[in-house]
Amino acid sequence: MAESYSEGRTRDGEYQEQFLNDKTLRRLGATIAGLFTLGVGGLVAVIIFTQVDFDLFREIIYPQFVEAFLRVLGIVLVGSLLSVTAGVIVGLGRVSNTRFTNAVATGYVEFFRGTPLLFQLLVIFTGIPAFWPPGQFPISEWAIPTAIIGLTLNHAAYVGEAVRGGIDAVPDGQMEAARSLGMSYVQGMREVVLPQAWRNALAAIGNDQVILVKDTSLLTVIAVPELISAFRNVNSATFDPWTPIILVAIAYLMITIPLGKVVSHLETRSDWGGDRR
Amino acid sequence: MSLLEFDEVDKYFGETHVLKDVGLNVEEGEVCVIIGPSGSGKSTLLRCANRLEEIQDGEIRLEGTSISDPDADINRLRQRIGMVFQSFNLFPHKTAVENVTLAPTKVKGLKGDEAERRADELLDRVGLSAQADSYPNQLSGGQQQRVAIARALAMDPHVMLFDEVTSALDPELVGEVLEVMHDLADEGMTMLVVTHEMGFAREVGDRIVLMADGRVVEDSPPEVFFEDPRTDRGKQFLSKLL
Ligand SMILES: Nc1ncnc2c1ncn2[C@@H]1O[C@H](COP(=O)(O)OP(=O)(O)OP(=O)(O)O)[C@@H](O)[C@H]1O
Ligand SMILES: [Mg+2]
Repeated sequence: MAESYSEGRTRDGEYQEQFLNDKTLRRLGATIAGLFTLGVGGLVAVIIFTQVDFDLFREIIYPQFVEAFLRVLGIVLVGSLLSVTAGVIVGLGRVSNTRFTNAVATGYVEFFRGTPLLFQLLVIFTGIPAFWPPGQFPISEWAIPTAIIGLTLNHAAYVGEAVRGGIDAVPDGQMEAARSLGMSYVQGMREVVLPQAWRNALAAIGNDQVILVKDTSLLTVIAVPELISAFRNVNSATFDPWTPIILVAIAYLMITIPLGKVVSHLETRSDWGGDRR
Repeated sequence: MSLLEFDEVDKYFGETHVLKDVGLNVEEGEVCVIIGPSGSGKSTLLRCANRLEEIQDGEIRLEGTSISDPDADINRLRQRIGMVFQSFNLFPHKTAVENVTLAPTKVKGLKGDEAERRADELLDRVGLSAQADSYPNQLSGGQQQRVAIARALAMDPHVMLFDEVTSALDPELVGEVLEVMHDLADEGMTMLVVTHEMGFAREVGDRIVLMADGRVVEDSPPEVFFEDPRTDRGKQFLSKLL
């Protein structure tokens, strides 16, 4: 690019390229990003110093927000573990040649992607207890199990599609090579296809798990004392919006940012010699 | 009984009749080279030989045991049939040595160090001792294909299938792979080789099998085929090469 500069001036056609060359674009991008960060940072600073009530901040952070945070974190950890595990099974079902398995997995994905998570949570929260005689179901202890079941079932569908995409992206030749060495289909899947599919699917699974974290905000509707309900409690009692808002933001980012780091760590770990040759 | 027998084999892809009544016997220690125009069914024939494709009629037997029988213990039979692909198909998430040890440990239940010792021998044999711990995408095409050959040999196959294994390689890398195959033939390996490398076919092949339009149309020793083919299709094919 740098070399073409002098040439660009002599030939009309290359003038464009010279104007929008890599360096200029990169500088432009960096400038915009810098200004944006400065703007947002400034705004946050202004809010913190003019709007946040630090006495209230100290008062509500413990136990209310810490407890809500730990509760969300626990639900996320269990929900992630279960939804990724179940998602791998759904993904395997989606690529199965057995018509029945395939149909079940497809129906599963259609249903759980095709209806809102909030609806699914309500079905589990209100629908299941209806099978018990009135008053017999321990409804007060049902919210957290509902949360975990709902998040798991819903996100297993998304993870399943990511896994299916990851498996589809592995060339057929990989399974053929495994089979031609005498490995069974299951061995070929386990040793050869799935490790590569997993790598292919990691970014999409990571995205989905970040959404799972944010989906815990819906649990406020089934009365799980999570971060949004903590906000609402404080806000309705004090009419102070910004102090609890800042706390909610910090709490979510304390989960989502490390989660992103874990995913990119897993991605670099399965680099397999990288692109160098 | 020949080592590998194709007996009146018919193969269809949907309506397309791809292998038509193919009969071919490969003897132990023989290098059988299959040539023919594109689309004549060479790859399909090889893929049927280890049942990556199912046949619709006839029978394929390895050392007298049917491969095409639906009840055949195909995973066991495939251990005796090594296959090398045009596109290498190395496992990208495993190093060269891990590519070679995977099947022996998982399928034959070989101990880790035992499998590794054997893999080192095989990598040495294909000239890649120094690359044992490299991942496939750190290797050249020629090196990858040689690892793929070592990987197939690790199962101690009784016959090796090669499907245009040098076609995806840069010209300067073809020689190193053909050399490994030549050595293998000299050591007495039974080989069924699809190739466009006529020099190799002539020098290493014991038999030249010409396929056209799903049929075996000529089956001659290389001296005969390359000097004075017995059939018109053979003459035609040869004239196009020159
Ligand atoms: N999976 C498939 N589905 C449908 N048709 C196929 C399939 N594989 C091969 N064919 C057809 O079968 C015929 C034989 O193909 P094959 O790949 O065996 O030829 P080939 O002799 O190996 O050719 P080439 O020299 O180009 O590799 C061709 O007409 C091809 O289009
Ligand atoms: Mg072919």
